[in-house]
Amino acid sequence: MSYLDLNIYEIHQALLDGKVTPLELAKEALSRAKADTNNSFEYISENEALEAVEALKNKDKNNLMWGIPFVIKDNFSTKDIPTTASSNILNGYTPVFSSEVYVRLINAGGIPIGKTTLDELAMGGSGMTGHKGFTYNPYDPSHKHMVGGSSCGSAAATSSNIAPLGIGSDTGDSVRKPASHAGLVGFKPTWGRISRFGLFPFATSLDHVAYFTRSVEDSAITLGLLAGRDDKDMTSSFKPVENYFKNLKPCISGVKVAIIKEILDSISDQYIKETYLKTVDELKAKGAIINYVSMDIRLCKAIFPTYFIISCAEATSNNANLDGIKFGPRYEGSDYQEVMTKARTNGFSELIRRRFILGSYSLLSENQKDVFLRAQKCRRLIVNRVNEILKDNDVIYLPAAPTTAPLFNASADKLSDEYLIADNYLAIGNFAGLPSLTLPLGKKEGLPFGGNITGRAFDEQMVLNFSLGLQEITGLKNLSSKEGK
Amino acid sequence: MNFEAVIGLEIHVEMKTKSKMFSTSPVTFGDDPNTNIAPLDMAFPGTMPVVNKQAVINAIRVCHALHMSIDDELWFDRKNYFYSDLPKGYQITQQRRPIGSEGYLEIETSSGKKRINIERLHMEEDTCKQLHSWDCTLLDYNRAGIPLVEIVSKPEMKTGEEAMKYVEKIRSIVSFLEVSDGKMEEGSLRCDVNISIMPVGSKVFGTKVEIKNLNTLVNIQKAIDFEIKRQEAVLLSGGVVQQETRRFDEAKKETVLMRVKTDAVDYKYFTEPNIAPIKLSKQFIEDAISSSPELAEVKLERYKSLSLNDYDSNLLISNKDNCEYFDAVVANGANAKLAANWVLVDIQAILNKEDISIKQFKVSPKHLADLIKLIEKGTVSNKQAREIFVKMQENDADPNELVKAMGTTLISNESEILAIVKQVLDNNPQSIIDYKNGKDRAVGFLVGQVMKLTQGKANPALTNKLIVQELKER
Repeated sequence: MSYLDLNIYEIHQALLDGKVTPLELAKEALSRAKADTNNSFEYISENEALEAVEALKNKDKNNLMWGIPFVIKDNFSTKDIPTTASSNILNGYTPVFSSEVYVRLINAGGIPIGKTTLDELAMGGSGMTGHKGFTYNPYDPSHKHMVGGSSCGSAAATSSNIAPLGIGSDTGDSVRKPASHAGLVGFKPTWGRISRFGLFPFATSLDHVAYFTRSVEDSAITLGLLAGRDDKDMTSSFKPVENYFKNLKPCISGVKVAIIKEILDSISDQYIKETYLKTVDELKAKGAIINYVSMDIRLCKAIFPTYFIISCAEATSNNANLDGIKFGPRYEGSDYQEVMTKARTNGFSELIRRRFILGSYSLLSENQKDVFLRAQKCRRLIVNRVNEILKDNDVIYLPAAPTTAPLFNASADKLSDEYLIADNYLAIGNFAGLPSLTLPLGKKEGLPFGGNITGRAFDEQMVLNFSLGLQEITGLKNLSSKEGK
Repeated sequence: MNFEAVIGLEIHVEMKTKSKMFSTSPVTFGDDPNTNIAPLDMAFPGTMPVVNKQAVINAIRVCHALHMSIDDELWFDRKNYFYSDLPKGYQITQQRRPIGSEGYLEIETSSGKKRINIERLHMEEDTCKQLHSWDCTLLDYNRAGIPLVEIVSKPEMKTGEEAMKYVEKIRSIVSFLEVSDGKMEEGSLRCDVNISIMPVGSKVFGTKVEIKNLNTLVNIQKAIDFEIKRQEAVLLSGGVVQQETRRFDEAKKETVLMRVKTDAVDYKYFTEPNIAPIKLSKQFIEDAISSSPELAEVKLERYKSLSLNDYDSNLLISNKDNCEYFDAVVANGANAKLAANWVLVDIQAILNKEDISIKQFKVSPKHLADLIKLIEKGTVSNKQAREIFVKMQENDADPNELVKAMGTTLISNESEILAIVKQVLDNNPQSIIDYKNGKDRAVGFLVGQVMKLTQGKANPALTNKLIVQELKER
């Protein structure tokens, strides 16, 4: 047993008791990072980690993050550390400033172990599209299964105990889906709860800072550190930050739990369904009030196209700064068009270019009303319905995904209800900016799968407390791919 | 066939706020290239815009001066296009809901007063500055992100003169409100002209031509007058006016083709998602307006109430820096009429000679006020004051100190002067006789004698009074 295999609050106690030192922890984490076989890392920040350990002398030991190793997705700007967003267009780019999230972690005494891989520019859900190739699911040493994305590297590194905390970003389900595939707790708080300053934007109105931990407790600890107003992000909220960890207590009795029938019905995997329904029974037994609610099937089927159009439209604009003129690889040309065209043709993969074309198409004045604005309207209708459900209920609880981690060569029927609804419904949490947490529910053939709890805006405490109760029911806490090996 | 022109103007005004529209880097002019840049100005990934409050206050003030309705919610949009001077690949602007809409201003032309309606005023950010040389383009990001207001008129002007007067008025407004330097030559106020002609009385506008890069007021008028004639000649010779962009060639005094407009660019506007709509409270808007610097028109009224004549008042407000100087002199207790005279005559002569602005002028308003007070009190004569003034220009010396050091203080002690007057009269009995015989110029002679005895230090007004008084008694 290594202290690195424990939860943050347990490691914290061991550090206070002098059972382990920050340097020992950092060295262990670095050596595990170097031994990683899942393509989790863009950059292992050995020097930065050792410097951070050195700087701990001047920091408050009682901070729960003091001496805790963490990994962070490579779409968070880190001063003097290369940041590529796993895209060739940013090869060699070293930022001159750090993201607010990174600064808060370092200031609190967190130890940065590395920058993790992602689907190129965070666009994608497979962990297959980054410029360094596939990122593998640590639960499958044969490397046939994906871990999911886009926060694939942080998911793989957290689930293989390289660090107890992996920072990611979630625009559609980019943390909450891989959390399901990797047996982790993945939390995306309310839009505006955590500053996005320094997060490379994919689709601004949907982008959230989110993160992986191996327990609900650690999720509460991390939120307490990251949440709060940042004047550099005008959309960050002034709402006071609660002490989520101190206030954390299992809460099930009397909680009104909504189950959206149409989403549950679109799942075909009986084992996942039954495992999930068993937890529902136990929740009921513990005093939860279960309400089966309905959402118009047309709205359910519209979730994915709505997400795709809005995210592509915003992405094409957000990434227009990547033109090879100011930073990133530079290609000479006879005029600015040639310089830009070469940089963007060489820098983006075909999948990315396809998204940009779709996004541009939907924004053109001749199409905007029929495509982009219609998607916005659709988003509004979906959000209205979800908020209606949450008026009468405290949380929505559903399986996080219809399957365990898919095979790399699996092909989904993209017009099936299962794909359109159950495999993509988590985006409603992004549409409405609601706090949404995935946690493990079970395993099937050695691969984990999870459930998802979504609550009201800024009601993170309720989501965490309910999740803690559910974690007690499942007993699935601090899962790791390491135990299976 | 007689034609009439339809002219609309788009004016971009660069604000002189402390920091940029959405970033914290300073707004300065004339600094070394690429020295005033924040990561946002170069669009580094992950940077986010934060709206400059002062820019909003400025925009509200200009809206108010232009009698516009002011939106109580701020919305920003992205205007998307690729160009080498546009770091983010989009410009943050206010396409759908400009802060100001439906206003007007009144201009005075040779043919009388005219109201020009204004369609909209919106805030946006400037692009970076490009310098093209034969084999490369240099980019200066100091300008990238400087706050702009764009003011779009209705197409209601008909002559070059009207357009020129309109721009002149806007320039006066933005500079008096301290929103901008308003310097066309330096690009802090830029004007694009849209112009078409149609047969008199027609309701259908002709094809619109855009004229860019107009950098002086005079050129606006000249360019428009030329362009109207050019379009008339094209139509009269059976040709068609092309939709194109032209520029004014100062040497040739004519507009020349820059490029023919093909399909308009589709800017794919959408709401800026990093800035949630900002509610502007009634109080905020009212405060912005009530704390606003004085407009030229308001100053004019105030100057008239200080009993300056129309000529001096108008001359003063034609230059904001002169106004500021003048206001400071008056605020330091000087008589307004005398102060206006000094600012408009004595100081202007020096400024013209040295080719400097009043801001570079050595004498502080406080010391000029002190000098004027010395004149008013009769401590020094006008002639002496001018000598002192010359000395003051060296190092802004205190006139009170100079008067002491130079020993030029006038004798204003009545009994002291009276004694000398009596002495002079005793020595010049013929002058008394002349005076009694109605020869008033005898008084002048006697004053001269007093001056001679006092080396010019006797207060002339007092001396004059005492001589007349003494003559009557004899």
